[in-house]
Amino acid sequence: MTASSTALAGRSLLRVGPLTVPMRRRPVLVAVTLVLLLAAAVVLSLSLGTPYVAPADVLRALSGAGTPYDLVVLDLRLPRAVLAALAGAAFGVAGTLIQSVARNPLASPDVIGVTQGAGLAATVALTSGAAAVLVAPAALVGGLVAAVLVFALGARHGLAAQRFVLAGVAVAFALRALTEVVMLSADPIDGLRAQLWLIGTLAGKGWTEAAWIAGTLAALLPVLLWAGWALRSTALDDDTARGIGLRPVARRVGLAATGVLAAATVTAQVGAVDFVALVAPQVARRLVRAERPPLLCSALLGALLLVLADLAGRRLFAPTQLPAGVLTAAIGGPYLIFLLLRTRGRRS
Amino acid sequence: MTAMLSTRDLVVGYETRTVLDGLDLDLPADAFTVIVGPNACGKSTLLRTMARLLTPRRGAVLLDGTAIRDLPTREVARRLGVLPQSPLVPEGITVADLVGRGRQPYQRWWRQWSAEDGRAVDEAMAMADVAELADRPVDTLSGGQRQRVWIAMTLAQDTEALLLDEPTTFLDLAHQVEVLDLLHRLRAERGRTVVAVLHDLNQAARYADHLVAMRAGAVVAAGPPREILTADLVRDVFGLDCVVVPCPVTGAPLVVPALTHTSAAPAATPAPAGASVGDA
Repeated sequence: MTASSTALAGRSLLRVGPLTVPMRRRPVLVAVTLVLLLAAAVVLSLSLGTPYVAPADVLRALSGAGTPYDLVVLDLRLPRAVLAALAGAAFGVAGTLIQSVARNPLASPDVIGVTQGAGLAATVALTSGAAAVLVAPAALVGGLVAAVLVFALGARHGLAAQRFVLAGVAVAFALRALTEVVMLSADPIDGLRAQLWLIGTLAGKGWTEAAWIAGTLAALLPVLLWAGWALRSTALDDDTARGIGLRPVARRVGLAATGVLAAATVTAQVGAVDFVALVAPQVARRLVRAERPPLLCSALLGALLLVLADLAGRRLFAPTQLPAGVLTAAIGGPYLIFLLLRTRGRRS
Repeated sequence: MTAMLSTRDLVVGYETRTVLDGLDLDLPADAFTVIVGPNACGKSTLLRTMARLLTPRRGAVLLDGTAIRDLPTREVARRLGVLPQSPLVPEGITVADLVGRGRQPYQRWWRQWSAEDGRAVDEAMAMADVAELADRPVDTLSGGQRQRVWIAMTLAQDTEALLLDEPTTFLDLAHQVEVLDLLHRLRAERGRTVVAVLHDLNQAARYADHLVAMRAGAVVAAGPPREILTADLVRDVFGLDCVVVPCPVTGAPLVVPALTHTSAAPAATPAPAGASVGDA
């Protein structure tokens, strides 16, 4: 790392082979802290429950030493914790991309119809007696189809922020209404299952769902490396962006499509735990004090948030289990409010 | 004169309205060109089309003789800088960051910074006199400072030519002069080609090497202001009667609107001797 001119605005240059990236110190510190907190949260999540397993035993089980707790820690709790971390990270990525393209801090997968598309497809699958393994693939397709619809509606204006959000809200409402119709005309038990799916839960899920999300994120990795760089120009207006040699419409479509893929994949696997996508980018942005949500820190924060939410849902009212979707809002909401109040106080 | 930017048979319109209909124009290299004309005459449309922000229906914009649409947008951005009329300031962005965005055409996601980037950004901030503001958020600056920051961003682009759409609008007089002085220095000291749309005829006459007067999508006159800016031209282009006198400071043509019915209150002092109303 070497420091340079005032032009770098307090950044240091990170050089790795052909890679040259100016970086501020704060996002790096935040990212490292989040990784440590995430590790601690995962250990805690493997430790708490019935039976309780001491953290030291959790670590020994994880190291493959062979302990009496292997079944509880490695087979029962680990898959769910890994799923929570991966799903949270995917929601964080999706939220960052969608909020940046929509230029709207309130945007999340449910604002552009992805959640509702997945929800409608899942509801149809759950109430029509389709095989259980078909629910997630159906939801994935449903989410993607809804997004294509939103893109088509927004395309005439180059997927401009406001148009994108309006098209999304319109599609989301229409799909939600359809979902209600399907649910109300279905067998009440099936309707209830569909409703639980829509809230989003990690209960009874594990390696299969985690693998889907991990695979998608891995496949998107090259795009995400580009996106981390491309995101910084989404706040510029189109004329300015063209002036400096960018193609803003192509960029928006690429970034939004990446966000939609992440959102549809994770929603299909764990349901509509949307609040993570809404809150993680905004909290991360305030933690790193940047003008836009940071991709990596949002992903890490999303992971941390969902691991904690799932843990709280399992333990707070044990033996009653609350779905993670309920808890993310309960934890993330107040924290965002706290950050908003603190930022306002400092600015004025 | 060598033309750096030209248009050939340019037709540009919005939906059903045609704004420019077959425009041929050559803008000289290494000069400060100012485009003037009444509202809705197509001057901004012309500038935006030359900056490839608008796509013409027919015809072409030539940059050093090559059609601009045949060039990759990244290459155009290394040769042609653009300052749109009211660019959106990204929330919370600092001056150095925004000026650094001007280096975009030289950067790739794997090479996001070079020593050359640092040099160009520092030089651009010094030239536009915003170096002391480097760490300030742009949205906390005054209008004049903000405009200089935007100009610094286009300077960091290190282009031979710079196009500006009404760069002085919304600025008070002192800041207008500041911005125009900066553009003048760019031409005089750096040999850049500068093209700007301006509203104020007198500022245009004072600063322009080459003046382009437009009306209803066509060029009425083009040339050095001292040669073409006459009372007849002003009446022709703006439909305004006026007196043209030499500016007491620069000697450039100074346009003074004649008394009209709406401003008919008698002046306290008589018109200076030797000044004659344009329609005499």
